Amino acid sequence: MSTRSRTDRPTLRVDRVACTGHGVCATLLPGSIRLDEWGYPVVLTAAEDGVDDGDEARAAAVRWCPALALYADRSS
Amino acid sequence: MNLVDVLEQSGLTGRGGAAFSTATKVRAAHEHGAGLLVNACDGEIGAVKDAFVVEHHLPELVRGATLVAGTRVRYAAHRGSATEARLRAAGLDVLAAPARYVSSEETSLISLAQGGLARPMTKRQPFVRGGSDSAGRRITPTVVLNAETVWRIAQVVERPDGAQWFRGHGLPDEPGPRLVAIGGAVPRPGVVETAAGVPLAALLGAAGADPGRTGPVIVGGLGGTVLRPDEAARVTWSRAGLAPLGGAPGPGVVHVLDAQACPVDALAAWFDHAAGESAGQCGPCMFGLPAIASDWHDLADGVRAGGSGSVSSRGARARLARRAESVRGRGACRFPDGVAGLASSALRALSDHLDDHARGQCVPGRTPRSSHEHALAH
Repeated sequence: MSTRSRTDRPTLRVDRVACTGHGVCATLLPGSIRLDEWGYPVVLTAAEDGVDDGDEARAAAVRWCPALALYADRSS
Repeated sequence: MNLVDVLEQSGLTGRGGAAFSTATKVRAAHEHGAGLLVNACDGEIGAVKDAFVVEHHLPELVRGATLVAGTRVRYAAHRGSATEARLRAAGLDVLAAPARYVSSEETSLISLAQGGLARPMTKRQPFVRGGSDSAGRRITPTVVLNAETVWRIAQVVERPDGAQWFRGHGLPDEPGPRLVAIGGAVPRPGVVETAAGVPLAALLGAAGADPGRTGPVIVGGLGGTVLRPDEAARVTWSRAGLAPLGGAPGPGVVHVLDAQACPVDALAAWFDHAAGESAGQCGPCMFGLPAIASDWHDLADGVRAGGSGSVSSRGARARLARRAESVRGRGACRFPDGVAGLASSALRALSDHLDDHARGQCVPGRTPRSSHEHALAH
């Protein structure tokens, strides 16, 4: 991974029941979220070539999710 | 000695499939003042052991539940089942769940018990601590334990040296007696009490089947693993024994496919069933499971298309494998993960049969190549 360590950050998770596949997250976080063939987000880990999109973009993606489905999991 | 310590010593794990430490769950339930839901739904395909526990060990089951949560206990069973009738006849507080696959998933039962639909909820934190569902509805702290698990709690606590007695069965890291339901194409389907470490052949034999001469065997139900007949005849029924084949003892069900019928068609019916059992809440499950079923039908239909050739079969298999991987970990519950595992194992175990279908042939009772090799090696 080229960017600084992300281990101190909460993991981004998707509430799959709430998510209806608007795709805003994938637009705001192009390095770490892609959409599957049906338009639902896949959160990429570093091992899956996920690239850090930065704190601001992460916060924006959580804030602007129309379904309030994207959240930062502080328990992990 | 207190309950949690005895359970810790016994090494009891959940018998519903996830095999999580019961001591840890009960400790959390006590810390958070959680009520208990006893899951006696037998929700997995072919599962009948919860019914067995309720039919034959109800007083112990009730005592086990009381040990965990006092009077704050409800018993979940499929609506209209004999288990529901038995629990009601005993005067117990019954939660009647719809007879759908995901309805008996633990968060579905918690939702149903608290006035919601019997559908899985996203676990932003374990519901033993309480929380809320995706619509913001408050969920009070609740722990769900499988009926066999609760019965085992009573056994461990009430027997002299119960933890030691319990550890006298099974393997050091998978201790205790356990129930397994064996069904499908066997002469004597039913429930047997066994323990991890037993040869799967012994379980097949107990049901009157001839190991090695059965059809493929599905261990663990719709979220389980397909084994070739020769694998089923030599594998050990335990986490360690089944792990190399992608399996686990899981919820304690073994289903034997008919050796005279096409296993590819049999699995098509399982995948169709899975697709219809999605709660339709989570996109990857709602769309992914029907896609997996459809991919499997494409492979099965190779025979009816007159054998479109191995190249397209390879492509279709790769697409199915990719889709199975893509749904893993992307549902509120583990249902898509389970079906993905079944699909991956079916691709592997039925590989020879799929080759036949690609060539436009279907030979139900064919002996897989690998078992010829196995026979030659001996």
